[in-house]
Amino acid sequence: MRAMAASVQEVFREAAARWTLIAYFALSSLFILVFAAAVNLDVVDGALAGARIFGKPLEAGGESVSIDKIVLGFESGFSGFLFLVGTFLALFATAHLVPRLQEKGTIDLYLSRPVGRVPLLLSRYAGGLLLAAANLVYLIGTMWLLIVWKTRVLHPRFLLSGAVILFTIAVLMAFAFLVGVVTSSTGVSLMTTYAIFFFSAILVAHGKISAAVSTETAARIVDGLYWILPKTAELGAATVALVAGRDMPADFSNVTPLAVFGSTALFGAASLGLASWLFSRKDF
Amino acid sequence: MELPIRATGLAKVYRSRFGKRRIAALDGVDLSVEPGQVFGLLGPNGAGKTTTVKILLGLTRPTAGSASLFGRSVSDPESRRRVGYLPEGHRFPGYLTARQTLSIFGRMSGMDTAAIRRRAPELLERVRLSDWADVRVKKFSKGMTQRLGLAAALVHDPDVLLLDEPTDGVDPVGRREIRDLLQEQAARGKAILLNSHLLSEIERTCDRVAVLRSGKVVAQGRIDELTASKSRYRLVATGVDDALLSAFRETGASVERVNGHFDLTARDVDHLNALVDRLRAAGAKLEELAPLRSSLEDVFVGLVGEGEPAPADSGAAGGKETVS
Repeated sequence: MRAMAASVQEVFREAAARWTLIAYFALSSLFILVFAAAVNLDVVDGALAGARIFGKPLEAGGESVSIDKIVLGFESGFSGFLFLVGTFLALFATAHLVPRLQEKGTIDLYLSRPVGRVPLLLSRYAGGLLLAAANLVYLIGTMWLLIVWKTRVLHPRFLLSGAVILFTIAVLMAFAFLVGVVTSSTGVSLMTTYAIFFFSAILVAHGKISAAVSTETAARIVDGLYWILPKTAELGAATVALVAGRDMPADFSNVTPLAVFGSTALFGAASLGLASWLFSRKDF
Repeated sequence: MELPIRATGLAKVYRSRFGKRRIAALDGVDLSVEPGQVFGLLGPNGAGKTTTVKILLGLTRPTAGSASLFGRSVSDPESRRRVGYLPEGHRFPGYLTARQTLSIFGRMSGMDTAAIRRRAPELLERVRLSDWADVRVKKFSKGMTQRLGLAAALVHDPDVLLLDEPTDGVDPVGRREIRDLLQEQAARGKAILLNSHLLSEIERTCDRVAVLRSGKVVAQGRIDELTASKSRYRLVATGVDDALLSAFRETGASVERVNGHFDLTARDVDHLNALVDRLRAAGAKLEELAPLRSSLEDVFVGLVGEGEPAPADSGAAGGKETVS
């Protein structure tokens, strides 16, 4: 247990020393500061009397708009933005964890200790996930507090968006670990994980793609890939819908949330399982 | 009692990426190290020394054979609880200080923070890094990094030390200190496996050595056994004339006059005693009779070079007789 704790701490110390942690939190702080400085709301009796973004007044057609609606719209839109940016930042900050561990002269130092290979890999994974979670808590929590401070409107659902984003990060990070174990390359890990992110988002239209391809085999492959890969588009939509308190968009109504989250979780578990198995069998 | 290090019939075959080429890195290596023993692993590049050490640490899996540390299979991570390892070309994270390095690796070996806090200063003092305790490792010279590596290997006071080129990049004074440190550890009953290219270091530090060539142990034994010539002797005597030398040669002995002494080659101990009897019977006076020793380098070159004893050293053959 001590060894695992030391390994997790090592992830944070490494991130701090290599400026990753600082850059990660600095970028998040920048978002927060821009938001804090740019948005000025004039709320009178629970309704928005005037709003300025970057100093420009927002037109509300001469009518007073419910501040609650404005805040909800902002929070749901911002959670969609965070889904993309938060996931990308987290992957960028953690993709090196396995390739650096596997470097010659480094891996020997760790594996010569009484630590199993799988626990060592999983502790790095846990460290990376904790790093991403800490940043999400900071980013989403501060944004939420700012919104509450500026509008006096409480929407705890906004905080839940962090859970979906962290779930997506966990799954994609597992895949990045798998690629890291196989290739020992941070660049390849990042590229393939980003590729999976976008490719699986395209596959949301798998029905249309399947219908357009010339052979039945190709159509089956497209459908198969859709079910195997993580459902990033649906998860992004789910994040927004969760914050807004809406149902999933009609485009995604043919899949249940259980199928979206279940198949994505399965992909993550399989990636992490395979990464652990390969890491435990690797000759260094 | 379980031996600190035991390897039996270790074999390792590496395959190329697509499995077409097979390279046998180890082929039936047997070795054992006892408590308090400093065991040297010698061999040219690619002989299998590092592969042997990596198998002992579970970094690489053997294709055949088995290895254990204190009776525990090396595939069990617990076998490494009592092991300290200094790899060749190790790379400690440059952002850590010397103290943090010992803390991280001490904790990874199961030590608690209080124990590390007690142990780290004395170890850093022992390897002359006290003044650098809170300096980041990336500022360290190669010799300092090596000394820190040794401290990290010793942090949890292990009973087995596996050291790959421990004096690499270290100045002569530092080498001597490392040698003293290893002797001190051996005196405390620690088993030490030393892998080095520096034969003089091995000769000064080790009790026993194994010489690897192409993945096989071609000689193993105590250094004095390997370097002793069982059939060649240095003879110093007065009153030896040519007639006596001829009489020696007639018995099958080989004898040469060299700078005031004789190089004498006898078949065996009985033959040697017969020659001594003859010498004394002829009225000559024996002043000195000692086996001729080869340097470890001569033995090593003889074993791994042409595969034959070095020309100036029939002692290598003696070394071969000790192959186990």
